[in-house]
Amino acid sequence: MKDVMGLIYTGENDIHLGELTSQRAVAALPIAGRYRVIDFQLSSMVHTGIKNVGVITQKNYSSLMDHIGSGREWDLHGKQGLVMLPPFLTRENMGVYSGLLDALKSNTNFLRLSRQEYIVLTNSHTVYNIDFTDALRSHVESGADMTIVYSRAKKTFGTEYDNDTYLTVSDEGLVTGMEIGSAMPTRDCISLKIYICKRELLRQLVEQGAANGMHHFGRDIIQRNINNGSLTVHGYEYKGLACQIDSIQSYFNFNMSLLDSEVRRQLFPADRPVYTKVRDDLPARYIEDSQCTNSLVANGCVIEGTVINSVLFRGVKVAKGAVVKNSIIMQDAQIQEGAEIDHCILDKQSIIRRNGRLIAPAAYPIVIAKNVVI
Amino acid sequence: MRKKQCVAMLLAGGQGSRLGILTKNVAKPAVPYGGKYRIIDFPLSNCTNSGIDVVGVLTQYRPLELNAYIGSGSPWDLDLANGGVFVLPPYQTGKTGEWYKGTANAIYQNIPFIAQWDPEYVLVLSGDHIYKMDYNAMLRSHIEKGADLTIAVREVPWEEAPRFGILNTDEDNKIIEFEEKPAHPKSNKASMGVYIFTWSKMRKYLEQDEANPNSENDFGKNIIPTMLAEGQNLYTYTFDGYWKDVGTIESLWEANMDLLTMPMPIDLYDKRWRIYARNPGMPPHYVAEGAKVVDSLITEGCEVKGVVKHSVLFAGVSVDTGAEITDAVIMPGAVIERGAVVRRAIVAENAHVCAGAVVGEETGKIAVVGPKAVVAAGDKVAAGVQVDADAQ
Repeated sequence: MKDVMGLIYTGENDIHLGELTSQRAVAALPIAGRYRVIDFQLSSMVHTGIKNVGVITQKNYSSLMDHIGSGREWDLHGKQGLVMLPPFLTRENMGVYSGLLDALKSNTNFLRLSRQEYIVLTNSHTVYNIDFTDALRSHVESGADMTIVYSRAKKTFGTEYDNDTYLTVSDEGLVTGMEIGSAMPTRDCISLKIYICKRELLRQLVEQGAANGMHHFGRDIIQRNINNGSLTVHGYEYKGLACQIDSIQSYFNFNMSLLDSEVRRQLFPADRPVYTKVRDDLPARYIEDSQCTNSLVANGCVIEGTVINSVLFRGVKVAKGAVVKNSIIMQDAQIQEGAEIDHCILDKQSIIRRNGRLIAPAAYPIVIAKNVVI
Repeated sequence: MRKKQCVAMLLAGGQGSRLGILTKNVAKPAVPYGGKYRIIDFPLSNCTNSGIDVVGVLTQYRPLELNAYIGSGSPWDLDLANGGVFVLPPYQTGKTGEWYKGTANAIYQNIPFIAQWDPEYVLVLSGDHIYKMDYNAMLRSHIEKGADLTIAVREVPWEEAPRFGILNTDEDNKIIEFEEKPAHPKSNKASMGVYIFTWSKMRKYLEQDEANPNSENDFGKNIIPTMLAEGQNLYTYTFDGYWKDVGTIESLWEANMDLLTMPMPIDLYDKRWRIYARNPGMPPHYVAEGAKVVDSLITEGCEVKGVVKHSVLFAGVSVDTGAEITDAVIMPGAVIERGAVVRRAIVAENAHVCAGAVVGEETGKIAVVGPKAVVAAGDKVAAGVQVDADAQ
């Protein structure tokens, strides 16, 4: 797959993730016990054999930059490797991307100077472990201008949001219609917003769109060109697991779904590991009277209390007598002696003090922000 | 190559035959330890944390796995433009070539490697021990004393002293006598096999030793006694932290069990002195409903459905329902099937203990299931027995 490059757009709307993304991009959101969301897109690209990946960053990209570094953990520190594309200020642009199209327009140079024939363009809030090789083959065989990867699975988690795009796909696999941000979608193929096309085509579409004063990549470029017949778009159905992390509820439910071994098997196949920044913690330590059941626990944790149906990130401490139920505890958070939490999402380094109690209803998990002490 | 003040040479060529089946196909420094490490992670991380960024690793016995593990050295920040980790197997010169004949000969054969860096000092390490040590503090002592050779020692219990190379010193820690395994020790300062040489002196004595056909080309037997006899300045440097030789099955098992005592005798949580390791990139471990895990270390990638007590599980170990693991070390990728019982044992990488099998006994010697070995359903492996995959 030498002839494919990757581009990840991390500036998507994350309003429904609330506190979780107030200080970071959704791409940098900790997930699945030791990863960040972008690890899944990056690892999928790397396992496809892609060696040149651009990451378009938008707001608060320092945590993302810190996480990705030189791209070494993904073997993307080579001659081409990983390129971070933060917004920049010139006479023509404002220094903040106003959307995917604007971001692509600002980075047409990156597109122009890359050498690969094809490009895989993705968002950064969909979690999957896909080898794009088959989608690419299918794209080339179809002879279409562009391929959009979609899923027929019902949106597994959370609610419908104005971000979602649904496709009409003909029996021959052609995308004949698109519905963007509908409150009541009439179609059943949800776009995973993975676009595959020739690099040059994407550049031309972007430059034309910008020249015509367009703003919205999906609506003004893809949808319009499908409708007026100037772009043949092929639909590639992905039958595996793909979860959009676009609300607190979907974040919570996705993490909880990992307690199911079948979900873990699909997301973490032995031959396609998901890479992430390594922390060099030692293995998790269980003390004499600890109790742990149906939970995921990362390295560096110290468990002295009780953990039930929960996901513990690296370096979490659950003290004696503390009870953690149905919760997601991000790295280095602490639940001190005798404290009890249920249906909580604790962000990094937060602390639930001795004998504290935080019990949330299942339908509405509480988020405790980073560094907060309760 | 720019000049370095100090370069490290890590002797990783020995077989480690006392580890039996565990080192049949891998060099001892590549043996797994502590849930996520290999023995060599300790000297390599100590070098990085001590600011020593040229490390030559001298390999000879079964180097394949060790080479792959070291790779570019990036896990230890030793992939550098000027410096880094270098694997140094024996090589041919002209029409001849030879194996490393002894510890001193191994360094002798790599004089050109060391000379490239034009160092002032050379640190000699072995890949046999678990310890966290600031080599830079030892180097400072070496420089302050104006020593030609500094030998790291630790004070062992007197009754154990006859098992070690013992150094007798004056009040200033200057070495006056070296005794290998003395029956009646005069001191309890045991050599750790960690040396700092002043390079010019080291080079001279290595060349001199090589010219002597009667020499065994060994640091302990030849170089140190000769330097002492010729009145060179030899000093000890006392190290008082945790130090564990993991050269035997029993001691490797014990060193793993040490990590389960609280507080840990070797603080691996210390963020200022991290022990780095290559990461296999596995998801967090999963503890199922009905499983029981107490008093144990569990690494990422494990799936635990059975009972784990006072044990160390490495990455990707699977423990099925009804299996019971006590006082055991289960190395990466091993599978313990339904209802199997493992006690006082080491189950090596990718070994398979089938349903209902029993490995080890409550007392007696440690049982070992070798790498990729299979213990058939219902079979028993008695204490002290080693199961070899090649014999199956």
